[in-house]
Amino acid sequence: MADSTLITLISLAVTVLFMLGTPVLLVIFYWVVACSFVIDLPLDNTGAEMLNVFNKGFALLAMPLFILTGDLINKSGIARRLSDFAYACLGWLRGGLAMASIGACGLFAAISGSNSATTATIGSMLHPEMVKGGYDERFSAATAAAGGTVGIIIPPSIIFIVYGFLMNLPISDLFVAGIIPGTLMVLGMMVTCFVICSINGWGYLIRLSFMRVTKTAIGAWLGFFAIGLVLWGIYTGKFSPTEAAGVTVGFCIIVGLLSYPMNKMMGTDADTPVSEKSVTSMFVVEGFTLFDIPSIVVRSAQITGILAPLIAVSVVMQQVLSAMGAQETIGSFVTSMGGYYPVLFTAMAMVFVAGMILESLPVTIILAPILAPIAASVGVDPIHFSVIFLVGASIGFITPPYGLNLYVASGVTGVPYFRLLRYSSLYLISLIAVWILVALTPELALWLLPDR
Amino acid sequence: MSILGDAATIVTRTISGDIDFQVVNAYRSQAAWVVFVPLTLIGGLAVYYLYRAVPWLERNLERTIVVWSYILMALIIFSGVIQRFFLSGQPAWSTTVPPLIFMIMAWYGCSFNVRLRTHLSFNEFRTKFSRKGQIAVLSLDAVLWLMFCMIVITTVSREVVRSYSNFQIVLGTDNTMQWWFLITIPVAFILMAGRVFENLFEDWSNYRNNRPLINQAVIGGDV
Repeated sequence: MADSTLITLISLAVTVLFMLGTPVLLVIFYWVVACSFVIDLPLDNTGAEMLNVFNKGFALLAMPLFILTGDLINKSGIARRLSDFAYACLGWLRGGLAMASIGACGLFAAISGSNSATTATIGSMLHPEMVKGGYDERFSAATAAAGGTVGIIIPPSIIFIVYGFLMNLPISDLFVAGIIPGTLMVLGMMVTCFVICSINGWGYLIRLSFMRVTKTAIGAWLGFFAIGLVLWGIYTGKFSPTEAAGVTVGFCIIVGLLSYPMNKMMGTDADTPVSEKSVTSMFVVEGFTLFDIPSIVVRSAQITGILAPLIAVSVVMQQVLSAMGAQETIGSFVTSMGGYYPVLFTAMAMVFVAGMILESLPVTIILAPILAPIAASVGVDPIHFSVIFLVGASIGFITPPYGLNLYVASGVTGVPYFRLLRYSSLYLISLIAVWILVALTPELALWLLPDR
Repeated sequence: MSILGDAATIVTRTISGDIDFQVVNAYRSQAAWVVFVPLTLIGGLAVYYLYRAVPWLERNLERTIVVWSYILMALIIFSGVIQRFFLSGQPAWSTTVPPLIFMIMAWYGCSFNVRLRTHLSFNEFRTKFSRKGQIAVLSLDAVLWLMFCMIVITTVSREVVRSYSNFQIVLGTDNTMQWWFLITIPVAFILMAGRVFENLFEDWSNYRNNRPLINQAVIGGDV
C-alpha cells in the first residue's frame, strides 16, 4: 500500500478516536507514532522531543508564568477590579456585563499573554455573575471563549514571541503591531455582544456615572501598573518577555501578600458593592496569604499540565510533517495562486483550516516558515503578515472541532462543548470581519510602529 | 547479543550504575522494550497499590512536586532579574535550570490531569453512548494512556542513559548533571500509569455498581 494511502487511513483512524472522546494529546501522539512507522522515522525522536521542547527554550517559560500571573491577579482581586472598571464604563449599554467581560479579557490579555489563561480567568470569574444576571449560560461561556482570543494578540503574547523567534523579526515590533488589531477584535466582539443582548433583552442596565468610573479606575490601578510594568520592561529591553512574566509573578505575589492584611484592617471584602466602598479602600485589593499560594499554583499547574504536553507532541507532529514533505507541497500550492491578494487570502484560508484542527502553536510552527516567505515575495510586509497570520491563529481558538478556548471555557464553566457553538459562531463572524479588515489595511498593524 | 541478553545488561548494569558504550547500545536495541513495557505495567500497579495504602500520597505527591517546581522556577527567574538590576549580575544557570524545572512540572502536571480527567477531549458523543459503550471507550482510553506511558518511558530512558554516558552538564553550572533532571520524567510516566490504573478500576467499579461513568470535568474544580 502506498505511503499516502496509509497516512490517509491513519488520519481517519485518529479522527475516529477524536470523535470517540480520546484526549487530543493522545490523538496527536498516535498520529505521530503511526506516521513515524510509515515513513521510517525512529520513534526515539518522539521521546527526545518530549524533553527537548522544554529544556531548549527559555522563551517557552513565558507560558507557565503568564498562566500563573493570570491566576495570581485573579486571586488577589486585581482581575475583579479590572472587570469592575470595564463594567462601570460599559454597564449603561444593553449586555453591559457581557461587554465588560470582553473588555476585561482585553485588559487581562495586556498582563497575561495567554488565551487559555484569559478565558479560564474571566470565564470562571464572570460566568456565574452573567448567569445570575439573566444571561443565557451558553452565551456567557461562549463570551469567555471568544474574549480569550485577544489574549494572544494584545501584547504581551506568547505566540508573537514564538513567531518572532521563528521568523527572526523584532518581538517588540510585533507587540506594537498587535495593539490596534487586538483592540479592533475587542470592539468587534463587543458589537456582536450588544446586538445579541439587545435582541434577547439580556442584562440589567446601570447608569453611566463619572464618579463610579473614576472610583473603579482607582481600584484597578494595580492592574494598570502591572500592564505598564510588563510593557515598559519589554519595550525598553530591560527584560525579556519571559523575565517580564517572572517579574509580574513576583509583583503579584508581593501585592497579594501586602494587600491582605491592609484590606483586613480596612474591613472591606470582595462582595461589598463598589458604591459602598470608600475611595481609600479602593487602593487596596483583597490579596491572599502565603497559605493560599499552593492552591493558586496548583490551578496554574493544572492548565500548564494540559497545554505544555500538547505543545511537545505538536512539535513532533511538525517534524513528521516536514519529513513527509508537507512544506514543499503547501508552498508550491500557495505560490501557484499568483499575485498579492490571491496569495494572501489562500494563506489566510490555510491558517483558518489549520486552526480548526490544531492548536495555535503548532499552526504557527508548521505554517509560518512556509507561508511568510511566500507572502513576502509578493510584497506583503513581514510585520503585517505576522499580524494577519496570528489573528487567524487566534480565531482558531473558537473554531470547532479543535477550538482550545471552547474546551477551556467548557471546562471552567461546566457548559458542554457543543452547547457553546451556537453563540461562539456569532463571535466568529465578527472576528473574521476584523481579520479581513486587518488583512486589507496594512496601516492597522503598521501605523504605531516607529520610523517606518 | 540476543534481546534477552541485552535486556539483562540493561537491568543489571543500570542498577549497578555501570553505564558504558555496551549499555547504551543495549538501550538502543529492541531489548529496551522488553524491559520497560513490563516495568511500566508493574510500576503503574505498584503506584496504584501504594496510593491505596497511603491516601495522603495519592492526594499530594504530584501536587507537591508541581507546586514546588512552579514556585522554584518563578523564583529563579524573578530573582535573576532583581540580581541583574540591583546586584552584580545574575548567575548563568538562572536561564538554563528553569526550563528543566518546567519540563518536570509539565509532565507531573500531565499525570495529575490524567487522574482529574481534564485533558482536552471532545466528550460530546461519548456522553450519549450506552453504559456498555461508555465503559468500552473509557477502557480504550486506559489502554491508549498505558501505551503512551510505555512508549515515552522506553524512548525517554534511552535519552537519559545517553545524557548520563555523555556526562552532559547543565549549561552555566560546573557540576550539575542533566540526567538528574531527565530521570524524573520516566518516573512521572510511571506515576501516570498508576493514575491510569486508578481510573480504570474506578470506571469498572462504577460500571458494576450502576453509578454514572462520565462526569463533566472542570479545570481547577478539584484543586
